[in-house]
Amino acid sequence: MLKAENSLGIIFFPAYDWAISPTHPEREERLLYTQDQLREEGLFDIEGIREYKPEVAETEDIERVHFCFPEAEAIATRSHYISTGGAIKAAELVMQGEPDRAFALVRPPGHHAMKTVLGSRGFCAVNVEAIMCEHIREKYGQKRIAIVDTDCHHGDGTQDVYWHDPNTLFISMHQDGRTIFPGTGFPKDAGGPKALGKNINIPLPPGTSDAGFMMVMERIVMPILEDFKPDLIINSAGQDNHFTDPITNMNFSAQGYAALTKMLKPDIAVLEGGYAIQGALPYVNLGISLALAGVDYSHVCEPGWNPETLKESDEIMGYIETLCGSIPDVYFNPPEKSNEGIINGDWSVRHRNIFYDTEGFTESQTESLLLCNECRGLLKVQTQKENGPMGFGVEIPIGACDKCRNTGYSLLEEAQVKSKYRYMQMINRREKEYMRYGF
Amino acid sequence: MLLLGIDVGGTHTDAVALGPKGIEAQVKVATNHDDLLSSIKSALSEIVQNTDPSSIKQLNLSTTLSTNAIVEGRFEDVGVIVSAGPGLDPHSFMLCKDFHVIPGSLDHRGSETKQLNNLSLEEAISSCRKSGVKVYAAITKFSPRNPAHEKEMELAIGDNADFITLGHQITGRLNFPRRIATAFYNCAVWRVFNKFADAISGTLEEMGLGHIKVNILKADGGTMPLPLSRKVPVQSIFSGPAASVMGIIALCKITHDSIIYDIGGTTTDIAIFVGGTPLIEQEGINIGSHPTLVRALKVHSIGVGGDSAISILEGTVRVGPTRVGPSIAFGGEIPTLTDALIWKDSCDCGNIGKSKAGFAAFASKIDMDPDELADKAIENAIDKIHDSTRELVEEINQQPVYTIHELLENRRIIPRKIYIMGGPAKAIKMDIFRKFRLSTEVPENYDVANAIGAALTRTTTEIELFADTERGVMFIPSLGYRENVPRTYDLEAAEKDAMNHLLAHLGEMSVAADGDNALITASSSFNMVNGNTTVGRNIRVKCQIKPGVVRTYS
Repeated sequence: MLKAENSLGIIFFPAYDWAISPTHPEREERLLYTQDQLREEGLFDIEGIREYKPEVAETEDIERVHFCFPEAEAIATRSHYISTGGAIKAAELVMQGEPDRAFALVRPPGHHAMKTVLGSRGFCAVNVEAIMCEHIREKYGQKRIAIVDTDCHHGDGTQDVYWHDPNTLFISMHQDGRTIFPGTGFPKDAGGPKALGKNINIPLPPGTSDAGFMMVMERIVMPILEDFKPDLIINSAGQDNHFTDPITNMNFSAQGYAALTKMLKPDIAVLEGGYAIQGALPYVNLGISLALAGVDYSHVCEPGWNPETLKESDEIMGYIETLCGSIPDVYFNPPEKSNEGIINGDWSVRHRNIFYDTEGFTESQTESLLLCNECRGLLKVQTQKENGPMGFGVEIPIGACDKCRNTGYSLLEEAQVKSKYRYMQMINRREKEYMRYGF
Repeated sequence: MLLLGIDVGGTHTDAVALGPKGIEAQVKVATNHDDLLSSIKSALSEIVQNTDPSSIKQLNLSTTLSTNAIVEGRFEDVGVIVSAGPGLDPHSFMLCKDFHVIPGSLDHRGSETKQLNNLSLEEAISSCRKSGVKVYAAITKFSPRNPAHEKEMELAIGDNADFITLGHQITGRLNFPRRIATAFYNCAVWRVFNKFADAISGTLEEMGLGHIKVNILKADGGTMPLPLSRKVPVQSIFSGPAASVMGIIALCKITHDSIIYDIGGTTTDIAIFVGGTPLIEQEGINIGSHPTLVRALKVHSIGVGGDSAISILEGTVRVGPTRVGPSIAFGGEIPTLTDALIWKDSCDCGNIGKSKAGFAAFASKIDMDPDELADKAIENAIDKIHDSTRELVEEINQQPVYTIHELLENRRIIPRKIYIMGGPAKAIKMDIFRKFRLSTEVPENYDVANAIGAALTRTTTEIELFADTERGVMFIPSLGYRENVPRTYDLEAAEKDAMNHLLAHLGEMSVAADGDNALITASSSFNMVNGNTTVGRNIRVKCQIKPGVVRTYS
């Protein structure tokens, strides 16, 4: 009998009755062949590996993280409540010490969902990992958390949620934004003024394969993690860097994903993208699961996998080597000023237009951080969906000082009196008060 | 017309003859482990003496033959030939010395991704032949999606084998390691089981019972006809607990979520009913340390029974999990749960005086009031039963589901009633009630419930249908049935085909096909998309004859 070196809980929720649309890549049978492969391998018979049922997330779990306009229920479908609930279950299992590690094999994904959500973008509506992390912090206290995003697309949503949080290190390795959706994720984005160096983007050239990814892991990711000393490591385990993925241009393999997982040793992995549902997902998910459990994965390879033909050219390796030389500086010697936001009195202000590709509209947003010397600062957001009503959000962060807290409440009161906004939301992490107003 | 049921148990062999008016004869004889046939013979002959042999229509037999052969290692060498492809190292599942891995692979849709290596296959067979192997198990990964490689193996083995088990014939459910173990054990006990089946037929002939239909009990609470069981003897293992559970169904009208206890000498078996139906183990039972695909009722055994020894550990009175010997009431040395029940005047069996004297002596030796000792012992036993039951129900309620609908519906099991059978059932009834505060019932004839269950159990079977309309194939692995289907083939057609094949299969086993008991347990259809077009449907349908009892004689 096989035995897992690290006990592993798998929350497998394929949502066999949910799709964005009938032929959309994010559709019912996305995890069907993965399930067949895991069942046929007898994965859940390995001693120490157990399958768990997801929970259903509460609206408060979502509203603790996001400014949702008009409201959480209008943006997140039942399937989102379950996929976030699946991640929360994974977190609960690990926090309670039931298994050593957990893998939330759930869909739909979430890493393109930003702090403010007005709809669905990049197949994502709410940020699964962020909702999970903040659930952990709410229940188990402030933790230092590192989120390592290995999806092929830049985790722009997670970056945005944690832009101002110095206690969350976000590392995203992805195909260079100049060649793929969402077109962002460059090393110059080092984080907001209070969290400089806690946002690390590693844009990789198309064609990067196992050797390139492992070089990045060894020379950028691991040294930074070692220094940051997180209490928890979360892996946003997107699988679209795979050489057969239909919507990306990378050459990563199941063996590569497994080796990366083995090195990263995440406490919790959460499935993100990955749309080669027949040729990649069954093998990559198996590889990741075995690597998490510490079971031999050396026989897991895709039919037709040929490491020789997938190997990077010298030119690509050379380019990646340059990245490995410069990117660690973003963390170890962060810039003095954030590349985004202009200073306006006590506030650092960002104006942005955000395109929601799944639904096809643009949001215009003004985000302001109160620059405070006592805490990480009060955050306020004004937002408007194309010609739609205005929304207003205030977040009092964990550990906020009295001044920021009181300012937050007076801003909310002021907004109510002015009745300029159709929707208003208050996230008060200090006193765990979550409120919303408007119809 | 009479129906016979025989349950060959670890200690006793129980037999009953059921007629229109209920039990017409019942027998209990000691089981002779080394000669099960003699136990069956003596039970049968007593039944025959008390009834009219010509009125006997059917014999349902639950036997520990295969189980014992496996547990005691009395089985023959098997040549296990597997082909795996990508995934876990197949050598992790090596369960005997003649184990050969042949290069070749199929993927999850059943497409061949690597040809079977014939040379390597020939070498493996010749190596088995040299070791004197006469029975073979051939298993490939994803054979329930496409049996081609297993069939190639069968062809290559040919005359070298007296018997071959192919993985896909066992079940259409996926689980390669379990399929290997199941096929292996099926081969391992094939010869010993068939000798036994010959002997049973011979015995019946001698006793003038050649005309009766013989069925063998399975662990899933159903039976299979003797001729069929000769090909799948592995299905006859661990049928004992199922016989008892089916007995309860025959004796009581169960409609609520319920807990069933069968309290034996060494163990208590716990089963859970959802509505009126017993729960089935999701994948299959373990044989030794190997999980298999043998379908079984979900029965959880704990080490508390009437003969469980009472001991003191760090000042706490404990019952079980060991059985040191019989109760003092039956000539043992160490007081047991039964002796504690006798002390409390709850139980009337064996030598009461001796039991009470022994119990009091034990209590004084450990400086304890015998009343207190008895109370604490019973409390400990009840607590163990209670805690295990809670864990079991919680585990079942935690079972994964895969659709939003199922998850939100969230059907939880909430037991409303308890049924108890087995030796100490009556004695312990009130203690169980006080702990659970749920209506608690001990049925009449609870001591032969197992044999009654055996007698009335229906023939069950399950099949899985798998269709891939892009390829234009429909396949029922366990029946070895394959058919070309048009691109328009849909879930409705698949469900209909599955039910028809299920009922036809019953017909082939000469069982009256009863459409009412056939039901679809899972069915799904997925559009397969390539680029932006739907290229076909991937359809899966599971259906079964649900376990149940013949109500004619209840």
